[in-house]
Amino acid sequence: MTTFDYHEPASLAEALSLFKKYGDDAQLIAGGTNLVIMMRQGLVQPKHVIGMRKLRELRGIAPTAQGGIEIGALTTHREVERSAMVARFFPALCETFGHVATVRIRNQATIGGNVVHADPAQDPPPMLLALNAEIVVASDGKSRTIPTTEFFRDFFEVALESGEIVTAVRIPPQPSGVKGTYVKFLPQSKDDYATVAVAVVMKLGSGGTCEDIRIGLGALGPTPLRAPKTEAALKGKKLTDKIVAEAAALVRDEVDPLDDIRGSAKYKREMARVWTERAIKSLIK
Amino acid sequence: MKFEHTVELPAARDRVWAFVMDVPSVAKCVPGLEGLEDLGGDKYRATMKVRVGPIGLALKSDLSIVEKDEAAGRAVLAVDAADKRIGGAVKAQMTMELGGTSPASTTLKIVTDAQVLGRIGDFGQPIIRKKADQTVGEIVENMKKALSTNPVG
Amino acid sequence: MSTHNIQFELNGQKRTVSVEAGRLLIDLLRYDCGLTGTKEGCSVGVCGACSVIIDGEVTSACLTPAVFVDGSSVTTVEGLAKDGELTPLQDAFIRKGGFQCGICTSGQLMSATALLQSNPHPSVDEIKAWMMGNLCRCTGYYQIVEAIQAAAEASA
Repeated sequence: MTTFDYHEPASLAEALSLFKKYGDDAQLIAGGTNLVIMMRQGLVQPKHVIGMRKLRELRGIAPTAQGGIEIGALTTHREVERSAMVARFFPALCETFGHVATVRIRNQATIGGNVVHADPAQDPPPMLLALNAEIVVASDGKSRTIPTTEFFRDFFEVALESGEIVTAVRIPPQPSGVKGTYVKFLPQSKDDYATVAVAVVMKLGSGGTCEDIRIGLGALGPTPLRAPKTEAALKGKKLTDKIVAEAAALVRDEVDPLDDIRGSAKYKREMARVWTERAIKSLIK
Repeated sequence: MKFEHTVELPAARDRVWAFVMDVPSVAKCVPGLEGLEDLGGDKYRATMKVRVGPIGLALKSDLSIVEKDEAAGRAVLAVDAADKRIGGAVKAQMTMELGGTSPASTTLKIVTDAQVLGRIGDFGQPIIRKKADQTVGEIVENMKKALSTNPVG
Repeated sequence: MSTHNIQFELNGQKRTVSVEAGRLLIDLLRYDCGLTGTKEGCSVGVCGACSVIIDGEVTSACLTPAVFVDGSSVTTVEGLAKDGELTPLQDAFIRKGGFQCGICTSGQLMSATALLQSNPHPSVDEIKAWMMGNLCRCTGYYQIVEAIQAAAEASA
């Protein structure tokens, strides 16, 4: 590893001040599961590393006044997976976090670190997109929220300005009676990232009519994606097998997958259709 | 990795050829390219700064025009670049061909054949390919803008 | 490179060490503390050979900066047996043949210890889900699962 200075600020204000001071020469470290690997491999060589482990105020899950939940950026994957509050709010979100890597990684890696890494094949982002989550961000002097639909810009690129730190992920209240599922299609074990991942959040009304549907897709483009055309083809319709199959077929034109070790682009496009259809059907009971 | 870009440039063929051969002008169209030095004999040196997420590369590049045929409207640029700090290299050959029949526009086709080696190559070939593809796309769009805002050439 | 004084509990003993910012826990344990039981397999947190328990949670020592254990309690494989007496889990690994070459065994024991602390009577599916991050090239995994089940029964 190259030489660097390690700083452990005791408060968010101190962290922001250090981050602003060192600018491009600094990297933040939360759980470290990703940064440590990149630094060991020499891919990232910061002169300053700012450790966030003392920032207790950024850890924890709490309800919001609007009836949603807010997950502090330093909350670990395991904490979200095991949270009774999240399980009451939206159990499929717990399951989504439970799909990540191994229990060791989940004990160490944080939700904040996850979203800023912005690998489109990660598990949580498609579900966060489907839940209309927002990313809460602080900088020296102010804070703002960024909808997840705008937060993920490109491979490993997010809409953060220099000096900004993610402090929480905020999930709005969901319509009552809403159900969700996260499907991680992992046909081979070359790595633990999905060939295709589909998150569905849906509300079925009386008579099997789709009142609301949100579809988040992972590993199918440079960022996690929503599927607006597919969603539009289902909203307000009575969900018969035929309607679901026809709508799921639209997903093929909403994705932009790569040829890689997890599958060819052509295969992924087809699997996006297959698993979107299956995910939606699994929620129709 | 190989990819192709084709663009309609809003200028006559001889003006486009002159532009493409004017390396400093083309260099302005390349995002992240700094410090262009003319070494003479159609050889140049520059540093190309690229980012993929948190990974920032400073690729010290040797560029040479290895073929130029004005009559055929064809030129080949060889790129040999490395970032020793991160431990990666890029070798590429870009073949440019001019075509089209209109007096006010010329088709430029660029075929890029590139290899990404070393640590950055290990990072994820498909992502690098996508980024490289995006970059050449940006270069070509910038060339189009440059040619449409400068009618005198 | 900045250096930091860290204080932590290692297998029940208080330790104070001065470490460089870039020091990883795996190297702190193996070289600075002389505890070579924890093994480095893949260096990227996938194989589980470096599993240790920090503040009750199983973690990858190869991905943990040493500075992160300041104020924490760390348990390695050397800390399992008390006064030479093996834990029921270690005993079960021997009886059931849960290891051959031994390179993954420290990690298997640490992960399984953490599992049984969190869930004293796991089902086979729960064992497999928890232990999926501990790779073994020798045993084929059956005897590892049996050993964990036997340990759970022994502690019933």
